[in-house]
Amino acid sequence: MYFTTNSFISTKNLLAIFITAGLVFQSCSSDFLDVPPQAKEEAEAFFVTQDDATKAVNSIYANLRVWNQVAFAAIAIESVPADEAEKGSSPGDATFFNNFDNFTYTASEGQIQDFWTGQYQSINLCNQVIENIPPINMDANLKARYIAEAKFVRAYNYFRLVRAFGDVPLRLSLPKSNVDFNIPRTPKEQVWAAIEQDLTDAASVLPPNYPATDVGRVTKGAALALHAKVAMYQKKWNDVLNYTNQVMGLGYSLFPNFEALFRIANENSTESVFEIQCQSLPGIQGASNSQYSQVQGVRAQSGGGWGFNVPTEALVDAFEADDPRKDATIIFRGETTPEGDAVAPTGDNPRYNQKSYVPFTVPFKQNEGEDQNIRVIRYAEVLLMNAEAANELGNSPQALTSLNAVRERARGGNAAILPDVTTTNQDQLRNAIYHERQVELAMEFDRFFDVIRQGRGFAVFSTKGFKEGKNELMPIPQNEIDKSAGALTQNIGYN
Amino acid sequence: MKRLFTHSLFGIVLCFLFVNFALAQNAITVSGKVTDAQGLGLPAVSVSVKGTNKGTQTNAEGSFSLQASVGNTLVFSYLGFQTKEVQVTGSTLNVQLIETSTALEQVVVIGYGVQKKLDVTGAVAQVKGEEISKQSVPNAVSALQGKVAGVQITNSGSAGTSPQIRIRGLGTVYGDANPLYVVDGTWYNDIGFLNPSDIESINILKDASSTAMYGVRASNGVVLITTKRGKGDTRITYNGYVGLQTINNTIKMANASQYATLINELNNTPTFANPDAFGNGTDWMTAVTRNSFTTNQYLTVSGGSEKSSYNFSIGYFGQGGNVEKNQYDRITARLQNDILATKFLKIGYNAILENKKSTDVPDDIIYKAVTAAPVVPVRYADGSWGDPADYPVGNVPSNPALQLDVFTQESKGRRITGSAFAEFYIVKGLTFKTNFGAEYNEIDRRTYNPVYNYDTELGAATHTQYNQISLLTINQDENNNWIWENTLTYEKTLDKHRFTLLGGLSAQRYKNYFIEGSARNVPNSTSGDIYLALGDNDTRTLKDGGDLSTAQSYFGRINYVYNDKYLLNASFRADGSSKFSQDDKWGYFPSVGIGWVISREEFMKKFDFINELKIRGSWGIVGNSGIQTNISTLTVDQKPEFTAVFGGLPYTGANITSIVPPVLVWERGNGTDFAIEGAFMNNRLTAELDWYNRTTERAIFPIPVLTSLGTTSSQLIGNQADIRNRGFEFSLGWKDGNKSNFTYSLNANLSINNNKVTNVESGENPIYAGGDAATGGQLSTITVQGEPIGQFYGLVVDGIFQNDAEVAASAQPDASPGDFKYHDKDGNGIIDARDREVIGNPNPKYMYGINTSFAYKAFDLAVDFQGVAGVDIYNANKGVRFGSENYSEDFYNNRWHGAGTSNSYPSANVGGGQNYVPNSWYVENGSYFRIRNIQLGYTFDTKLISKWKMQKVRVYVNAQNPITFFSYTGFNPEVGTAKNDVGGTPKTINTGIDRGVYPLYATYNFGLNVTF
Repeated sequence: MYFTTNSFISTKNLLAIFITAGLVFQSCSSDFLDVPPQAKEEAEAFFVTQDDATKAVNSIYANLRVWNQVAFAAIAIESVPADEAEKGSSPGDATFFNNFDNFTYTASEGQIQDFWTGQYQSINLCNQVIENIPPINMDANLKARYIAEAKFVRAYNYFRLVRAFGDVPLRLSLPKSNVDFNIPRTPKEQVWAAIEQDLTDAASVLPPNYPATDVGRVTKGAALALHAKVAMYQKKWNDVLNYTNQVMGLGYSLFPNFEALFRIANENSTESVFEIQCQSLPGIQGASNSQYSQVQGVRAQSGGGWGFNVPTEALVDAFEADDPRKDATIIFRGETTPEGDAVAPTGDNPRYNQKSYVPFTVPFKQNEGEDQNIRVIRYAEVLLMNAEAANELGNSPQALTSLNAVRERARGGNAAILPDVTTTNQDQLRNAIYHERQVELAMEFDRFFDVIRQGRGFAVFSTKGFKEGKNELMPIPQNEIDKSAGALTQNIGYN
Repeated sequence: MKRLFTHSLFGIVLCFLFVNFALAQNAITVSGKVTDAQGLGLPAVSVSVKGTNKGTQTNAEGSFSLQASVGNTLVFSYLGFQTKEVQVTGSTLNVQLIETSTALEQVVVIGYGVQKKLDVTGAVAQVKGEEISKQSVPNAVSALQGKVAGVQITNSGSAGTSPQIRIRGLGTVYGDANPLYVVDGTWYNDIGFLNPSDIESINILKDASSTAMYGVRASNGVVLITTKRGKGDTRITYNGYVGLQTINNTIKMANASQYATLINELNNTPTFANPDAFGNGTDWMTAVTRNSFTTNQYLTVSGGSEKSSYNFSIGYFGQGGNVEKNQYDRITARLQNDILATKFLKIGYNAILENKKSTDVPDDIIYKAVTAAPVVPVRYADGSWGDPADYPVGNVPSNPALQLDVFTQESKGRRITGSAFAEFYIVKGLTFKTNFGAEYNEIDRRTYNPVYNYDTELGAATHTQYNQISLLTINQDENNNWIWENTLTYEKTLDKHRFTLLGGLSAQRYKNYFIEGSARNVPNSTSGDIYLALGDNDTRTLKDGGDLSTAQSYFGRINYVYNDKYLLNASFRADGSSKFSQDDKWGYFPSVGIGWVISREEFMKKFDFINELKIRGSWGIVGNSGIQTNISTLTVDQKPEFTAVFGGLPYTGANITSIVPPVLVWERGNGTDFAIEGAFMNNRLTAELDWYNRTTERAIFPIPVLTSLGTTSSQLIGNQADIRNRGFEFSLGWKDGNKSNFTYSLNANLSINNNKVTNVESGENPIYAGGDAATGGQLSTITVQGEPIGQFYGLVVDGIFQNDAEVAASAQPDASPGDFKYHDKDGNGIIDARDREVIGNPNPKYMYGINTSFAYKAFDLAVDFQGVAGVDIYNANKGVRFGSENYSEDFYNNRWHGAGTSNSYPSANVGGGQNYVPNSWYVENGSYFRIRNIQLGYTFDTKLISKWKMQKVRVYVNAQNPITFFSYTGFNPEVGTAKNDVGGTPKTINTGIDRGVYPLYATYNFGLNVTF
């Protein structure tokens, strides 16, 4: 009644078109709803080519310099508890560091969680490589080396975990299903064993050195040196001696100028055994992300930094008379650095860490000092480990040779200072080596756990509030315990 | 269809008229005008002579003319208005029709159609456009606050930010908790672009049976918005107001000498030698905030005939932010046009254009202002900036006035959106409609950080706030969405059976693309400089990304009414979404509703005070696809932070840093609703009571996973829990319009909601969340079976340690006097995580609104009240401290500062020791009561203004949010979904945690409405 014949037909046609269109939708519905992720590669397509393997290994190296590995968390866990360092900055800023300085920290401290997270995030990157690279069809030698590099980093992260927490969840493979998500702590003996296995594997594959374009990758020397340190923490003195002897045969040497050793110009020097590469990278903002130097830089000074983790009076006093390493390790308020920076005579802190110091005039894109590499293992430490192992095994001549090599370099040609150690009394020599480690490796995030593994925690730190039987280990982060619903237990004294 | 129908009726009526003309005795020509309450002519009103079949319709101006005899009764009827009978006494008869006072006779919009409220079996609430445009709010959603039972609106004080809306409680944690907005058939996530004055009505579908037609987008309710369409004579309307906007309820902070005292106590050393010498110092809130002006100008031209209608409008909204420099400007335009092209084809379109611009301020500026040290001046006498480094306060806090001064960011947005449709009337009752809606919008933001160097330019910066090299960042974000829907509707009345059948299909596509670039050392001497091209070559960065999802649906519905008494509505929808994994793409959503109009039964006729009474019940299943796309596809993380350096050169890195849920399925909502509604006492009293039970089954939750997995996110998404919201909604309205010169209405609504987690996948193990910067990194909420979702969880404060002896004797040997003394719940002599308990509930239990309007002669007055009760807030701002931040005056007055000074407030070291861990001291009552809106208007006499060709002139004054009563010590108790940190992204799971919430503002306006 509403349509002329013609219009009705045209309507019918139109309707047919729309209904057909609807049917077309239906027939191709599987395509229409099949949408790939945008701007993200699907994981299925990754770990297929050699290039993928390369990128994955690169991520492991890059991740070593991120905030939760090198900045606040490392300061809180590995530096401030020691007698050589304290919070710094201004009194009201980041006061939680004081809890670590005076041993009142609890399992709820954010920095403990951050430290834990940082290590495990790195371990995941390594596990991805170790598990996913083997099936890739690629250069066999390169494949073996990539896996060895990942194993080294994994061992390094587990080393940092086990000495801080003792038993920790040990993940050597990727989780396959929900049951792998929540695993309990593995006894520390097994963690140490896993670390040693990784380092043994790595040292057997890694080359002693690389062409210039690959400088910064981990070497055989790095794997041996870290293995020596791992053995030293377990008092396996024969192993320490063995591994350090091997490193000493690889052509490393001490860099003559102790102060200059820590400057950008002398990165990856002959003394460098393992060094985290940090670079100011114009045009790649996110990659210029090391804040290691920034957080420790001279406070309230343009080009300086935030001024955390500052040397204590105790460290100043620890140096022998006229030891040049004191001035090379500590920036004193009011001094002019060898690079010509005048440090203001007033300010919140009398001292700053000079080993992380980057001259104020060095340009940066994101963070002050983003260019500074982080020296993790130096040849000097290899010598000191060698000396300690030799002494523990009763070989004082070798111990003295290695120890005095370090002192000789520190002397800088000035025969009037830092005389050679001559004692062959094992206890005296042990103490001399301990002392040498304190001053040689000062402000290099080694002191606290070094004293703990020497069994002297209470003796050295009790005046700061250290409680024996408790503070040798950090508490497991409370959030982890909550999330584990009982699978994770707490360390003694923290609950 | 309706129009066609009336059109032909009109013809038939005319025929009868001619016949009757000859027969009429003593007939005179009666003519006049039918107007609405505002005096505007009503077109197409049916006018008939009672007891005859004589009748006509009013024309476009509302005028009519017909033959009748003196003594005859004329019946005026029009949909949505009360039918009126008037006796003929002479040749002129002007009639004013009053809108139907019973809500049940009103027509409400439901999904893909309209229904009389009486025929509806679900919970649908309608708010008229004039209710919305009466309030001076930039976003229409905000105007709904307190208007509708069960709808919670949480406002934000920052200019241009859309309010948060929750319908019937929080039903999802991970997914989008906002409702779906449908504007004239096109789907949106947000309607911030819509000028409130363009809205004809807002219909809120609350229960699952009503929303099931929107399937997978329906679980949080659906808000249907109909925009104005032209009708009748060409009409030009102007609405405008100007107003003053002022912050209310600011937090009173400690003054300089109080601050110095507190810092001395914090540092436990006389950092400030003589605190009293500082006096009041700087009030930083005053330094960075201001009273500002807001203005709204709106002009519309509209009209229509049987064949076509049009409505063109243009609006300008300008809002000065209460933070200095902050400015928001928006221009909107709308073009609407419907044309009945042939008898069987109607086409039309509705296009909305929006252009907005804002001068932004730092996200955290209010936070910085309240925490800034009052001992530091804004500027020194020589004009240089007050430098916190000159005072022993460290670099936290900073100088917020300097921060604001150098912050340079401008955002611009453009949007074109709308829909076009065609309706084919195939045979009587059968209509095919195709509707294509699309949206394109683009936002670009330019942020410029200029050089302000302490060393080089004296006084240009402070010791800790400087920038040596400029940085320009440009962000562009565009969205390109479309929806195409085809429906076939068949309406039929057979004797006492009335039914509507609907079938349809829909396809949708949502695409987002963003690109961000930056460069350093860009000059900024003219506006032509702000280009990345002018930056240093080696500093340019670029990144982009995007998102794409599609959906496809089939749906059908039957509405059946028997004898106008028995109601049945049933629907079914199948939805496919690209967001889910292959086997779980499709979801199916049925619904059914039944109703019984008891008042139409014979046995009810004797209760003459009951005009309408209906009981109804409904059930439906709905879904929620408001999660990120491709959530169960594992992807590769390739980011600049993964760039390795070897030999000094960069090498790209990538790796897998996440885990994804193996299977993820729809969040399924299951809703039941029972209600009784009615109109009583000559329709003056209306009442509605709803009981609802809304469950979200297999709710998608981010479960915190152990960090030892090493993933970047410490959460794994999965179907983890069942959540239930159950409650009552009660609405009561009273309207009396029969007294001469005086009419008034009172409406009140109350909702009671109980939120409960009924099942957790992890069984007895609770889900912990909220571990963000706001809570010192501590997990601060707990979700456990049998309890409300996301309750605050922490230690209970028993008091304050007064001295060392108390500390030594306590379970907290490391504490200091002035620290919180925690309750040792398990009594084991140690305070640890096992002593935590539930310390508050962020889910509001009661919401209410009271809306009143009065009209006396030419004056009209509307006063609205609104409130929330039974809710807790976690005031995280009190405990997050990085250095020498300022404290509130309340804290100063009540703090512990020596034995016996306080047993409720801690010492100045509130952010240190173990005082910052989540505990009961931070939990406060979040209840409030607000005077939402007061408006007083005066309408000029028509005689006075008609010589200027004006039909109506009204002036008004208005106060929006003038007073809020609450006990909460933060800025305002409307916290909503909190950000995890100042300037961070809001997370639903952190609801109720206050971290850097903006203060709210009141606006006082003067406005003018003119109709030509």
